[in-house]
Amino acid sequence: MLQQYFGELETGLLSAIRGSDGLVNPRKLYSLEVARLGKRLCSGTSPVAWCGITAPFDLLHSMGVTSSFVEFVGALLAVTGVAGAFIDTADQAGYSSDGCSYHRAVMGAASQGLMPEPAFLVGATNPCSGGLAAIECLARHYSRPLTVLHIPQDESGGNVAYLAQQIRVLAGFVTAHTGLPLDRDRLREAIENTNRTRAAMCEMYALAQRVPSPATSKDLSNFGVVLPLFLGSEAAVELACAYRDEFARRCAASPTTKKRETFRLMWIQNRIQFRQDLEKLLENEYKAVIVVDELNDVTWDEIDPEEPFEGLARRSISIPFNGTMERRVEHLQKLAREYRIDGAVSPCNWGCRQGTGARGLIQAGLEEIGVPVLNLEVDCVDDRKYTEGQVRTRVEAFVEMLHGRSSPWN
Amino acid sequence: MAVPPADFIGFACAYTPLPVIAAAGGAPYRVLPMTESPDQAGRMLHDNICPHVKRILDRAIDRDLPELRGMVFVNSCDAMRRLYDAWRRVDGAAPSVLIDLPPTADESAVAFFAGEIERLARTVESWCGRTIDRSKLSKAVEQHNVLCDRVDALTRRVEAGTLEGGWSRLQAALNLAATTPFDAALKHLDGLLGEAPADRRRASDPPIFLFGNVLPDPDAHALFEACGARIVGEDMCTGSRTFTRIDSDSTEDSCRLLAASLLRRPRCARTFDASDPGRMSQDVLDAVKRSGAKGAICHTVKFCDPYLVRLPLVREALQREGYPLLVLEGDCTLRSMGQHRTRIEAFAEMLR
Ligand code: SF4
Ligand code: SF4
Repeated sequence: MLQQYFGELETGLLSAIRGSDGLVNPRKLYSLEVARLGKRLCSGTSPVAWCGITAPFDLLHSMGVTSSFVEFVGALLAVTGVAGAFIDTADQAGYSSDGCSYHRAVMGAASQGLMPEPAFLVGATNPCSGGLAAIECLARHYSRPLTVLHIPQDESGGNVAYLAQQIRVLAGFVTAHTGLPLDRDRLREAIENTNRTRAAMCEMYALAQRVPSPATSKDLSNFGVVLPLFLGSEAAVELACAYRDEFARRCAASPTTKKRETFRLMWIQNRIQFRQDLEKLLENEYKAVIVVDELNDVTWDEIDPEEPFEGLARRSISIPFNGTMERRVEHLQKLAREYRIDGAVSPCNWGCRQGTGARGLIQAGLEEIGVPVLNLEVDCVDDRKYTEGQVRTRVEAFVEMLHGRSSPWN
Repeated sequence: MAVPPADFIGFACAYTPLPVIAAAGGAPYRVLPMTESPDQAGRMLHDNICPHVKRILDRAIDRDLPELRGMVFVNSCDAMRRLYDAWRRVDGAAPSVLIDLPPTADESAVAFFAGEIERLARTVESWCGRTIDRSKLSKAVEQHNVLCDRVDALTRRVEAGTLEGGWSRLQAALNLAATTPFDAALKHLDGLLGEAPADRRRASDPPIFLFGNVLPDPDAHALFEACGARIVGEDMCTGSRTFTRIDSDSTEDSCRLLAASLLRRPRCARTFDASDPGRMSQDVLDAVKRSGAKGAICHTVKFCDPYLVRLPLVREALQREGYPLLVLEGDCTLRSMGQHRTRIEAFAEMLR
């Protein structure tokens, strides 16, 4: 089912791209890469690894492994509108309905044989305990080898060296279970691609910060969380450059976009994955544009291709969901300032202790700098729990409140 | 028994290296989620955070705590990490530290955790104004092990049905030992051990193994018995797990020894062996068999991912060998347990 879906998606996107007279919307290229990754995962042509969100995908790519975090599958099931059935399967098997639906959808899909069988699994302690537990259960389900990355909370003491060593051990583990060796030249090439992608992302985000922003609410939806899956490849470089160039073109083209940008919003954590009209509602009816998502940022330095493991370790530690809430709030405040945000939306995915758990602290932290937060109560994967009317009412009230305040940046 | 004054240092997780606190002259005080304080934690933490953590926060907000020199958190799960975040925003709350806890127990994890214990030692020294040296730490480990032995002996008596008050009284004793300075705790445990044997065996009630995380209310244990479930063994985070022995070996680095002992003792759900995924299910099965139980009850606090995500595997392993499992989700109050009364009775009845 998945293979067919990705195949058709790729074909459709390729024909749309061919017909676009050279002016390709980068979002289409993004979707194309998603489809291609999905196809590779299902094709059986290379070993597959199911991982936690902070695994070093560029390292795995350089070793010839097709890898993804499992939540990617949860999100895809939501996009295709079938997550509910798999969540039910998981619940019937005893998974708590209070758990994160990304994981419940994945566990249901695995138990029905829908997920490609992995060669091995890589768990990670960051971002969430639920994700790590799900990976352990999947390793048991598939009877496949598991390794775990313990991501320290910060870079203090010997933390970077500790994680770098675990990543070195991971490379040996991959070789032991796939026979694929670590080739230093291929790794260097992958890291150079990662650095080029990073550079283009920095430029692209700098453009997105402009007022008015060249980014629409949809352009970079899920970008920061999904892009790491392509890191190390040429495709990632091309994708980041395509966004940068398109944003530069839009900035140069016209400032008239200001009309559609009465309010600039920040999206906290992940987007709602199933199809719904919230972004459209915000943009079309209220001229409120999501110009930045929490994970759409480069929080890590260039990686030294000669000392890659330390750089990869630093990158995993740097992810905003890691560490204390102060650190996360500081990052959100930084984004709010850089993007001149009027308000923030937090979907509060039910089942996410890591993110949603601290919503009161996040709200207080942003309000400290004059940015109000709209906390929605939604499940980002299970569309059956979504009540459009309720969301609309909350959004209306929020936008009305924004109208009554002056911008925190004037 | 009133808690005598001491340099209390709070803790909230059974992975806390308690001897480090004692070595600095502090008295470990487990902040149990038992309180009459109003529910105020929701201002900072979402409803989906485990009630264990929220009640601890309620106690801090409501100042329903003895004076604490400091509070030690262990990064055992997302909820604990968020509790650490929220604690620091409570007016008047004691200074706190979060030590990181690896999810596995391999050599590099042990070395890392030893470093965290070292960091904790420096923090606790500053809170207590006393330095920790090797001999103080060895003595604290010794004392800890003395308490563990007493708890073990008491547990054996409860299992054999010769302690008046049974599991409920044992739980009260464990709560006291986790919140009282060493001498007083030892005296209390010795007092219980010195009591004449009672005959509490109720052979007709089906034997049940109890496992899970946080259930400190002694009345909850009495409720199980009243429902006809005879507990013959337990593995709870507020039960015997806080009192597991630390290896002592004068040639080894003390922090390393502490780290290895804590990480390698019987695991709760948040710690696992990557080379044997899902091992928890086998561990629970083995413990059920050893205890002679006919079935198992898991009590877990609501929204506890480490337990809830792994329970389907445990259920499968138990069912495969013919052991029924009853899962109870609670909020650390007896009221929530009371709501399960009919289910516990039906479960016990089924096992007859
Ligand atoms: S939504 Fe939260 S619990 Fe779910 S995968 Fe993301 S971080 Fe983990
Ligand atoms: S009960 Fe579970 S979720 Fe709560 S603190 Fe303990 S391990 Fe974490």
